[in-house]
Amino acid sequence: MNDLARSQNQETFVLNLGPQHPATHGVLRVKLTMDGEYVVHAEPVLGYVHRMHEKMGENRTWAQFMPNTARLDYLGALSYNHGYVKVVEQAMGIEVPERAEYLRVITVELNRIASHLLWYGAFVLDLGGFTPLLYAFDDREHVLDLLESVTGSRLTFCYFRFGGLYNDVDDNFVGGARAFIKRLRRRLPDYHNLVTKNIILIKRLKDVGVLSAEMCRKYGATGPVLRGSGVDYDVRRNEPYSVYPELDFEVPVYGEGDSMARYMVRMDEIEQCMRIVEQALDKLPEGPVVAEKVPKILKPPPGDYYSAVEAARGTFGIRIVSDGTNTPYRMKLRSPTFSNLSLFGEASRGMLLPDALALMGSLDLVIPEIDR
Amino acid sequence: MGKESLQSAIIRFAPLDKLLDLGRANSLWPMTFGLACCAIEMMATGAARFDLARFGAEVFRPSPRQCDVMIVAGTISKKMAPAVQTLYDQMPEPKWVIAMGNCAISGGPFVFEGQYGIVEGADKLFPVDVFIPGCPPRPEALIEGILELEEKVTGHRRWPRVEAV
Amino acid sequence: MLDELKNEFASLVPVPLIETDYRFKGYHLDVEVGPDQVVAAAELLDRRGFFLEAITGVDWLGKAPLSNQPEVEAGEAGEGGGAGKAEAATAPPTDKMEVVYDYNRTVGELCRVAVRCRLDRANPELPTVSRLIPGANWHERETHDFFGIIFSGHPDLSPLLLPEDADFHPLRKDFKA
Repeated sequence: MNDLARSQNQETFVLNLGPQHPATHGVLRVKLTMDGEYVVHAEPVLGYVHRMHEKMGENRTWAQFMPNTARLDYLGALSYNHGYVKVVEQAMGIEVPERAEYLRVITVELNRIASHLLWYGAFVLDLGGFTPLLYAFDDREHVLDLLESVTGSRLTFCYFRFGGLYNDVDDNFVGGARAFIKRLRRRLPDYHNLVTKNIILIKRLKDVGVLSAEMCRKYGATGPVLRGSGVDYDVRRNEPYSVYPELDFEVPVYGEGDSMARYMVRMDEIEQCMRIVEQALDKLPEGPVVAEKVPKILKPPPGDYYSAVEAARGTFGIRIVSDGTNTPYRMKLRSPTFSNLSLFGEASRGMLLPDALALMGSLDLVIPEIDR
Repeated sequence: MGKESLQSAIIRFAPLDKLLDLGRANSLWPMTFGLACCAIEMMATGAARFDLARFGAEVFRPSPRQCDVMIVAGTISKKMAPAVQTLYDQMPEPKWVIAMGNCAISGGPFVFEGQYGIVEGADKLFPVDVFIPGCPPRPEALIEGILELEEKVTGHRRWPRVEAV
Repeated sequence: MLDELKNEFASLVPVPLIETDYRFKGYHLDVEVGPDQVVAAAELLDRRGFFLEAITGVDWLGKAPLSNQPEVEAGEAGEGGGAGKAEAATAPPTDKMEVVYDYNRTVGELCRVAVRCRLDRANPELPTVSRLIPGANWHERETHDFFGIIFSGHPDLSPLLLPEDADFHPLRKDFKA
């Protein structure tokens, strides 16, 4: 708030938040110009975990890039797997068997639940409540067990393959997924009773960090941030891919635009994810999980291709440029949090520092995804 | 002379050091310091199921001045390296470093010919005591790493070693 | 809606804009503009409720930029024929740098627009759209980091993802670490 600063005779100071700071969820650094407890200007400084993913894309074959997608957004790795295999399949014209598509949706949604649970724990931790983290991690471990049983890893999944999946699931997975949903249904009311209805949390989040729909559009914000500002947009529904059109789910939208709205969007999304998983488990067809005619060496036809999926934090877009060889010519990864965070500078102006941190937490940042 | 009366333990520092080491080993204070993916597994280790508190190493401190073990959990980029170095320098002695995950060991999956952005291993910056491989290592592996560090500090292992079957 | 947009673009750019096969390419419209029309294109799309999803650079060192423009002789394949467009343009290699703007919108019918601009590799410069679309600020900075493309009028082109003192552009094809 410029007039605020002026009224105080420009007595501002610079506060350096990060790159090692517990509230920045990793190695984000924010250069804050402060007027007392008020933020006059906030400038995020990125790149502290820039891992050259886009350069690596040009240095390895199409298939060899797969593990990188998992390390971009390690909380929602399967969405990134999905985005990448989708764009290559699209370019190559590979048909994916139905069972594989259903399993992709099931695992992606389970992964989304895990991601939102972790966000929930970490977000409340940012606001000063430690215990919810333990609850959230407890439930999250169950998802990770399930996913580990089919993918082989706990975090950096590399489960999808061009034209299908790495392996099929067994009855244990199906039963386990149903049991987990039953369990989480029982647990979610606890979450709401303990945290959502907590007066301290409400006071910290309500009417704090209001983002207008127009601001989200100007900055290209997507995902729960956009939906918390009243825009009904979800790639899964607006730009249907995989088997999402065959599943019945709602897109939670809250119009307030404050941190509470973003909180509620994610909490409701957990419920919708459970609905999707349940339906997909019911409809899960028999059949192969890998397409038959996938060439060993992929050479997508020359040209550029774009594809987007709904990751846990918003639209993950990927633009590939192929020159017809077995290595990508250019790989652009459009990460949702990069755009979501870019509005922080403007949105946090004039806020109290703790409120600005609440806003930052509600954006759900994963730094390696921003820095790539 | 009065030699017998002088034999009290106060003069003998070695046993005192042993005692201190025992205390240090059983209450390691790691730094809350996540760089990338491995940090999530580090959080999971501290949280409900794996409960690092069982081994006395759950007091994660955000300030380096209150820590005695730095868990380098993730990729150190060249931009981040000076900050990591500063954090290490700010820690009071005695201090230990655990390199968690392949990135902290050697740069892991992000090393390729012509890479321009990362430091290939935490040991390029400062001495590392324990290396924990994995991408990311499982929480059990981190716990094993902490036990390994305890052994390094005290000279003997507190918990039975689990043999691979 | 698509047609309206096409008409509006037709008044802006001399080259025909291309309706691409969405299922194959992942976007609906492909527009090639000159550096001086980048802002006008952004304005047009912004007015229509589009948002900027990403800005990308592509370095075509010693290669002919791949084009969706139908070749004169291949014109009979028609538009929207997806697979038929796979042939690369056979223009002689010219050192070009390409900037691609991906637009999308959240309301109304799904429509993704890729606006591309080809620049001379020796002197890659084009005006910024960040005054109009503040979200472009970081995307342009990132593109400058990686390719050394200069967005004139940009408030701050200091390295975003690379170290503060970085003077290299790693995604250029002739970059050596």
